[in-house]
Amino acid sequence: MITKQLIDQIEGEASVYFDMKNEKVSFSTIAFPHFRGIENILKGKDALDALVITPRVCGICGHAHLLASVRAIEDAYKNAGYEVQLSTKAKKIREFTLVMEIIQNHLKWVYMVLMPELSKLRNSDEESRVLKGAYGASLATKAIALLGGQWPHSSYMIPGGITSDPTYIEILQAQSLLKDLIQFFEKESLGVNLDDFLAYKTSKDLSSGKADVSKIVEYLLELGMQEKGLAYDRFVVLGSHLFTKPIRMKQTRPFSVDVKHVSTVKSYSPNEKTYARNAMYKDDYYEVGSLSRMMSLQIPLIKNIHRRYKDSAYSRVLARIYELAHLMKYANELLSSVSITENSYNKPAPIEKITASGVGIVEAPRGPLIHKITIEKGMIKNYEIITPTQWNIGSSSKNKLTPVQKTMLGNTKNEALFIFRTFDVCSVCTTH
Amino acid sequence: MARITKEERKSIIVLSALKLFSQKGFYTTTIPDIAKNVGMSVGSFYNYFTSKDLLAKELVLFISEYLGKRIRKINEEDISTEEKISKIVSMYFDMVEEKPEMIEYFLRVYLSNREIFGEECKGMICVSSFVTEMMIFFDEGVECGKLHNQDFFSAFGLFMGYLGGMAFLHGEEILPESLNEYKKNISENIFNALKSRN
Amino acid sequence: MNIKKIFLKTFLMPLNLETKLRLIWIQGVTCNANIHSFLNLPSLPSLLSNIDMVYHPSLECSYTLEEITLLETSCDVLIFEGAYDPLLKRNDVLVKDILEYYSKNTKYVIALGSCASFGGIFKASAPERNSGLIFNEKEEYGPLLDSKTKVINLSGCPIHPEWLSYTLNMIISKREVLLDKLHRPLELYSNLAHHGCTRNEYFEWKIDTKGFGEKEGCMFYEQGCRGPVTHASCNKILWNEVSSKTRVGTPCFGCTEPDFPRSNLYSTKTNMSIPQEVPLGVPKRAYLTVTGITKTFSIKRLEGKLIDYKTTD
Repeated sequence: MITKQLIDQIEGEASVYFDMKNEKVSFSTIAFPHFRGIENILKGKDALDALVITPRVCGICGHAHLLASVRAIEDAYKNAGYEVQLSTKAKKIREFTLVMEIIQNHLKWVYMVLMPELSKLRNSDEESRVLKGAYGASLATKAIALLGGQWPHSSYMIPGGITSDPTYIEILQAQSLLKDLIQFFEKESLGVNLDDFLAYKTSKDLSSGKADVSKIVEYLLELGMQEKGLAYDRFVVLGSHLFTKPIRMKQTRPFSVDVKHVSTVKSYSPNEKTYARNAMYKDDYYEVGSLSRMMSLQIPLIKNIHRRYKDSAYSRVLARIYELAHLMKYANELLSSVSITENSYNKPAPIEKITASGVGIVEAPRGPLIHKITIEKGMIKNYEIITPTQWNIGSSSKNKLTPVQKTMLGNTKNEALFIFRTFDVCSVCTTH
Repeated sequence: MARITKEERKSIIVLSALKLFSQKGFYTTTIPDIAKNVGMSVGSFYNYFTSKDLLAKELVLFISEYLGKRIRKINEEDISTEEKISKIVSMYFDMVEEKPEMIEYFLRVYLSNREIFGEECKGMICVSSFVTEMMIFFDEGVECGKLHNQDFFSAFGLFMGYLGGMAFLHGEEILPESLNEYKKNISENIFNALKSRN
Repeated sequence: MNIKKIFLKTFLMPLNLETKLRLIWIQGVTCNANIHSFLNLPSLPSLLSNIDMVYHPSLECSYTLEEITLLETSCDVLIFEGAYDPLLKRNDVLVKDILEYYSKNTKYVIALGSCASFGGIFKASAPERNSGLIFNEKEEYGPLLDSKTKVINLSGCPIHPEWLSYTLNMIISKREVLLDKLHRPLELYSNLAHHGCTRNEYFEWKIDTKGFGEKEGCMFYEQGCRGPVTHASCNKILWNEVSSKTRVGTPCFGCTEPDFPRSNLYSTKTNMSIPQEVPLGVPKRAYLTVTGITKTFSIKRLEGKLIDYKTTD
C-alpha cells in the first residue's frame, strides 16, 4: 500500500510516497512539485546579471549561489584566455561570508528542524527553541552584512574580486560578533568550551556538556538512530576552498574526484510529477554535505563516530553539529589573517569580450553546488545549476536507490520521516 | 520715452562690444571705445562691467545663452532627429550670416585667447547653456533610436567642430557660395555620421 | 464582582490580555528569502508574542500546511510572499483558491516582497500569467485588484525585517498606514536608497568610482547604481543593523521598484555618456547644467583615497 506524506518546512515542500510492508518502509519515492525555471530565465541575459538572479534560487543559501556564479564566470574568463587575478584578501573575505552562511544555516536546522522533529518522534513536549536558532543565525548574518552589505541576497562578489573595501572597523566588528556567537553556542548548545568540544576524541565525550547537544545525543541514542538511516557510506566533496578540498570517499578510503563525471538523470516518481533530477557521480549515488566534509578532514571524533556508527542518522546529525563548531573556530582564524591593504578587486577584461564556458563549484551548506555557464560575447547562452539536495534526495527506481531512499528502508514511517530530515533538505534549490 | 532697464542697457553694451571686437580686434578695442560707442561715460560703464576681462566672460555667456535658447526651442519641437539637425545647422548658419560678430568672437577670441578667461571659465562652465542643450539633443536622439550611442565628446566634436570649421572658412571668405547653399548637404552629412548603425 | 475589581479589570488591563493578531503567511512562487530576512529581526520574540501565528511555512504555528489548505479558518492579517501564479498548487490545492478564501475575511493583506508586489524576479517563471497581487509590474492588475484597499505592498528583494515589523506593529497598535501610489507605506518608501549613502559627497561632485572595490566614488554614473531613482530606506534603516549594498560598493539594483529586475544591472545606461535616468523628479536640463558645472572643478581631497595605507605604514 502506498501512502503519501507531505513534507513541508524544507524551504518549500516535497511529497514522499511510502511503500509499506509490515509497517516498515519497503520502498519510497520523492516528488518535488514546484518549478521556477531559473536556468531558462538566465538565458539571453548579461552574464553579470547572473550574480543578482542566481542568489534568488534560494533564500537560505543564496550566498553560496552567488559564489558559484562568480566562479563560473571567472572560469569562463580563464577559458577565454583572460584569466582573472583574485587577491588573497578577496578570496578570504568571500570564503568568510560563505562559511558564515553555512553556520547560520546549520543553527537554524538544529533549532528549527532537528529539535522539533526529535520532540515529535519521541512524542515529548519540549519547550520551543526555534527563536534561539533565529537569534544565533542573526549574529552570523550580521557578520556577513558587514562585508557583503546585507543578508539575504548580497551581490558583492564580482569577477575580479569583491565590491567591498573594508577597514579594520568591519573586521573587528565581525570578530566581535563571532565571539558573541561562539559564547552563545557554547552556553546554549555545547555546554562546554568550543575548543574542548572540538578536541573530543570519542562519541562518549558528547554526553559531557549539559546543554542542547548532549540532549540531542541522548535522544538520538534513545531512538536507536545510531543504527538507522544508513546510506552507501560513500561521500563526495567537490567545492575547492581553504576550509575544504574536493575528494571522493568510500568509507574512509580516498579517491580522486572530477566534476566532469557528475551528471543528472530524470527522477523516478510514478505517483506525482516531480521537477527534480538526481545527481550522480559516474553512475553511482553519493552522499554530500556536512558528513562528507567532516569525513574528508580526518577529524578524530568524526572518525570515531564513523567507526562505531557508519553513516547512520546519528553520524549525519553529529557531523553537522560538529561542522558548526569547526567552522566557527575557522571563521575567526580566517578573519584574523585578512590583509586589508591588498586590492579588493582587480579589474578583468570587459565581459563583452568573453565567449567561453565556465564551471563554478562551491560547498554550500548542504553539499556541492555546481553552476555551469556558457557565455557568448558577454551574454548568457546557457546556464545549468546542480544543487546538493539533488545528490542526497534523489528519487530512483528499486534497482539503484538514492542515498535518502536507502536510509529510509526498514524503518517505521515516522522514523523514516525523521531520517529524511537529517539530510537538511532544501526544496527550492532542488528544482530551481 | 520709456526708461531702458539695466538689463537692456547691458545687452546694448554687449552687442556693441561684440561689433567693435569684430571690427578692430579684442586687444586693440578699449573700454573708452566701447563706452563712446554706446553713448555713456567710462565711469557709468564701470557700473555694468568692472573690467574688460569680466566683459569678455559675459560675452561668452551671452552667446552661449543665445545659442542655447534657440537650440532648446528646436529640441522641444515635435519633429524627427534628422529635422532637428537641419534646423540647428540652419539656425547656426543664419547666425553666422546675420550676426557674424558673435561666432567670430567665439572662434577668434574665446577659443584662441584662453588666458583672458582664466579660472572663471574653466572647462565648459561658461558655455553651459549651449552644451546642456546639445546634451539633451543627443540624449533624446539615442533614446529614440535614431542616433548611434557613443561617448558624448566624439559626437559633440563632430557636430560643433564641423559647424565651427564652416564658419571659419566663411569668415576667411574662402567659400564660393553663401552658407545657405551648404545647409542641406552639411545637415545630411552630420546625420549620416551620427545616425544609428543597426 | 466589587467596584474595585471592575475598575482594575477595565482600566488597568495589561496589553497582553488583548486578543493577539491572527496571522497567516502563505507563499506563491518564491525563494523564501523574505522569511529568512524576517528571522533576522532583533525584536522577533516580542513581535511574535503579540501575534497568533495561525500558519507559517517555518515558524511554529497552530495549523499544518495540510490543515490550512482545508480553507476552514480565518485571520486578521494575510501575508502573501512570492509571485502570484494562478496555476500554482500547494498540497494539491490551488494557491489561487487559498488566497481568495483567506483574503475575503481578512482585514489586511500584505504583499511581501517585490514578487508579491509587482511580479518581481519570478514573474519571469511564467511571464504570461504571473504577477503581483494588485500590480503586474507597474500596471494595475492581479487577483486582489477588487479588494486593493486591503492590500499593503512591501516591495523589496527581499524585504528588510524592520519593514514588516513596522507594518505589523502599526496594525497591532491600530494606526492607519499611509500608502503611496504603489500601495507602499510612505514612512518606509518615501526616502530614496540614495539618502544616507556614505558616498553622497562623491555624488555631489560627480566623482565616479573607478571600477569596483573602492571606498571612494559614486556608482551612479557607470556602475548602474539605482539609488537616486529608487524608493527604499536601505541607507536609513541599515541592513542587519550595520550596512547596505552601496556602503560596501555594490550598486543599488532598484529592487523595490516595479521594473525590478532590469537588465545589465552593474552598468549605467547612458546615451552619449549622459545617464538615461537622472535623480527622481530632477529635470534633465537642470541635472545636466549642474553636472556640467561640477564636473569642471576638481576637488583634490575627493580625488585621492580616504585612507592611503601604503604611505601611512
